[in-house]
Amino acid sequence: MKASLHHRVRVVVLGGGTAGWMTAAGLAKLLPDHAQVTLIESEDIGIVGVGEATLPHIRAFVEKLGIDEAAFMKATHATYKLGIDFRDFGALGTSYIHPFGSFGEEVAGVGFHHWWLDQARRGKAGPLGDYSLAVAAAQANRFRPPAQDQSLASTYGYAYQFDATLFGPFMRSFGMANGVIRHEGRVVSVERSGVDGDVTALILSDGRRIEGDLFVDCSGFRSLLLGETLDESWEDWSEWLPCDRAAAMPCAHVLGAPLRPYTTATAMPAGWRWQIPLQHRMGNGYVFSSAHLSEDEACTAIAAAAEGEALADPRVLRFRAGRRRRSWSRNVVAVGLASGFLEPLESTSIYLSQMAITYLIELFPLGGHCDPRDRDEFNRLVDMEYDRVRDFLILHYHATTRSDSPFWNHVRTMQVPDSLTDKLALWRDAARIEKYSDGLFYDASWFAVYVGQGMVPQAYDKRTALADPARVGRAFDALRKAIADEVAAMPGHADFLGHEAARLASAA
Amino acid sequence: MAAAGPLRRIVVAGDGPVGLLAAAALKRSLPPCDVVVISAPTGAAAFADRSATALPFTCRLHERLGIADTALLRRAAASHRLITRYFGWGGSDSHGVAAYGAELDPAMAGAFARSWGGGQRNVSADTAPGSIAEVLADAGRYAFPLADDGGAAGAVDHAMRWNTGAYRQILSEAAAQLGIAGLAGPVVGCKLDGQGGLRSVATAADGDITADLFVDCTGPDAKLLAALREHAVIDWADRLPVRTVYLAEPGPPVLALEDRMTLLPQGWLSELAGRDGLQTTLAASRSLDPQEVRDALGAPAAEAIPIGPARAKASWLGNVVALGDAAARFEPIGGYPLDLAHRQLALLLELLPSLAFAPAERAEYNRRAALMADAVRDTIAVHYAAPAAMAVFGSQGRSAQLDRTIDQYTRRGRMPFREEAPLAGQEFCALLVALGFAPGTTTLAAARPADEAAVAAAFAVKARSVLVRTPPYAEWLAGQLSA
Repeated sequence: MKASLHHRVRVVVLGGGTAGWMTAAGLAKLLPDHAQVTLIESEDIGIVGVGEATLPHIRAFVEKLGIDEAAFMKATHATYKLGIDFRDFGALGTSYIHPFGSFGEEVAGVGFHHWWLDQARRGKAGPLGDYSLAVAAAQANRFRPPAQDQSLASTYGYAYQFDATLFGPFMRSFGMANGVIRHEGRVVSVERSGVDGDVTALILSDGRRIEGDLFVDCSGFRSLLLGETLDESWEDWSEWLPCDRAAAMPCAHVLGAPLRPYTTATAMPAGWRWQIPLQHRMGNGYVFSSAHLSEDEACTAIAAAAEGEALADPRVLRFRAGRRRRSWSRNVVAVGLASGFLEPLESTSIYLSQMAITYLIELFPLGGHCDPRDRDEFNRLVDMEYDRVRDFLILHYHATTRSDSPFWNHVRTMQVPDSLTDKLALWRDAARIEKYSDGLFYDASWFAVYVGQGMVPQAYDKRTALADPARVGRAFDALRKAIADEVAAMPGHADFLGHEAARLASAA
Repeated sequence: MAAAGPLRRIVVAGDGPVGLLAAAALKRSLPPCDVVVISAPTGAAAFADRSATALPFTCRLHERLGIADTALLRRAAASHRLITRYFGWGGSDSHGVAAYGAELDPAMAGAFARSWGGGQRNVSADTAPGSIAEVLADAGRYAFPLADDGGAAGAVDHAMRWNTGAYRQILSEAAAQLGIAGLAGPVVGCKLDGQGGLRSVATAADGDITADLFVDCTGPDAKLLAALREHAVIDWADRLPVRTVYLAEPGPPVLALEDRMTLLPQGWLSELAGRDGLQTTLAASRSLDPQEVRDALGAPAAEAIPIGPARAKASWLGNVVALGDAAARFEPIGGYPLDLAHRQLALLLELLPSLAFAPAERAEYNRRAALMADAVRDTIAVHYAAPAAMAVFGSQGRSAQLDRTIDQYTRRGRMPFREEAPLAGQEFCALLVALGFAPGTTTLAAARPADEAAVAAAFAVKARSVLVRTPPYAEWLAGQLSA
């Protein structure tokens, strides 16, 4: 039975950035009979929009909304992404790719990474990336979508690198086509119920009053509803993740350079800088700690480091690592920066918004009333996601031998969260990876970063000592060759993109 | 790198099925290692060791360890279970079916999706129009593997039951074949190593026996683990109400693809079909008089076994790892006791230590083993949370996780993900329905109600297609036995 329109929950989304339009579009498309979605945005307020690189999960979001991938990629000038190349993190001069994919396979009940550590100790292992199809393809600047079977060609995934300033508008058009009502204006006051303290309406500067049953706070760092109005407290994580600024500067592609199917993160004296290849330009930016570097210095540094002709002057963004203790309080749910922020080192910003939207839909207050049990469940899930990502990010800074700047001295020697201390001890003492199946970043990711940043464990599974080393060596060679052959058969990244564009044009 | 090599000598105390399979598994994993099993009775309440069944996981573990299904079928009167029927749990005359098998989202089929996630969490528990497993069980048809015609087979999984004596004999032979030595027990003493573990265990015949690793499979007494100073127990008495388990003499042979769990005023009655005989078990929270027991079992009890449910706070201390009843003890609902023993054994194989025991490795084992045990406890506890069971067993304490799971399932149709759980999300949903919990409607199902008639028609087509391709179970079994 269809719900009558009178019973649609009035959802008011505050903020027209990436998180706001993703939320509005998702709710309008997936709950057309249950949610009446209104979005308030102001052209006076800029959007942060640094989320240019994504994780593979974004594909499920695009697909769930019924958006054609090729059309979406064209509109956002997107490229394919197989992982992130981390340079100079563990030590100056080192580099490794954290891929959207796995490394080798378990043999005789012993995980691949133990075999690799054993071969490496014997001087017989190639670089770890040689045993990952995603890494090998990325290094060769090649791309083809993975197979949907159990073969080697199914051992990787992909995400997109897109223009975040185009992604928001794309979602806006999609959302409005699906019935989202948009109001242009600034919120000047918030009305709350005298009975239960819930938010009842937002008042715009021109006097318009927007009523709602559920308010989604996508107002960015200001967190106007959750933070300012409901005073939900902030859990600060800057002691572990001290970067609190980014100086972003788009550049033209360097002529003749291959189009990389991966993001590059290069460690800098007071943080790191990104290079994100889009179809039409290269995104650049320096994420830094303002305690260790001034904004002007950072702008100078990124302008000097970025390759290609600058398309704009560096623009500085400010943020801080942490999250609200509760992301859903009363009838206000925060999505995106209004809920929390983790710096873009592993491209998790859009993922965290997407997960919050998914959980909001699963726990959506169908009758208009927010059940405390659903709120608790939402907050538990969001916390779990944030905590797991947080530890993984801290690892990138802490697992280093760099002592060439006060910033790196700080992160190398800082006290990390207990949950991470345990994980590090487990790797160091036994080359084991703490196992979990919910949240983000599993074994292969931790392994890639541990090894990539030079954390050599003191011991690993000794069953490796029982195998014939020559036989293991041959198996390693065979895997490396199979991966190389697979990569050789892939088209170049730019060629594949061009082919997709041509397919789209001919279909139109 | 530390010079410490692989374990050289492992002593398994306890020669029940849990100890024997553990010994065989460890020996296969470390062929040069000297693995010794000390015989020791595991006691009447060793439900993992005495279990005539487990869950689907055990079939896969057996396969990995070279214990062939066909050997169990031919020599241990084994048979397959596809479903368990639940009678009376949702109120008198209620009847539900819990099947194994979880239909994998096609998007999760690839290797990448499994290693990066994004699909298995928070299973959306939209009610299926029917269960292929139930259709097969009703028709008495099954063959393994099922002839696959595009997905139906993937939704069906089985557990096995067997004759416990013959099963133990098969494991004993497998252990001997691997060169595992047996020593006459029981263990009469333990000497501490001063580092939180054991230096040796003693038997009357062989005196002190040393080892790098001791595996305690001695049953609920946990003779080795309990000898250690750090040993502590977490009492489950406030969560699991059963205090006495009554076993009947085996009944006549039954060939069936289903087992039964019935809620009675006395407690629950389990009927485990077996080619060697029907095994009937009654479990009660209060002491029953003989007539009450007879009424339920249909015969006087052959055994009455008292139990005090609990788990070891840490099942790996020093160089001692406890498995099975030595790690956790609770009533024998379904195959959970042996399933837990086998999953913890698989965890030990995954995290097998070297001579240099790393405390962090031990902590990780204990963390995951505790998650496994608590998830099994909650899976059993959900039976007592069923609408009609409360009247029989009284109200029990519940973990926050269990409360949340029941609440989310019944109101929102969601199954919150749980690490290290014995049942897949869809299997747990099926169990909840069988126990009389009505699922809530998921948000997306509310937004887009399915065309129920079309879904039911599609299921009927699929069911017919599977039935046509699947032989009667007795016929297939006869082929297996004579091949």
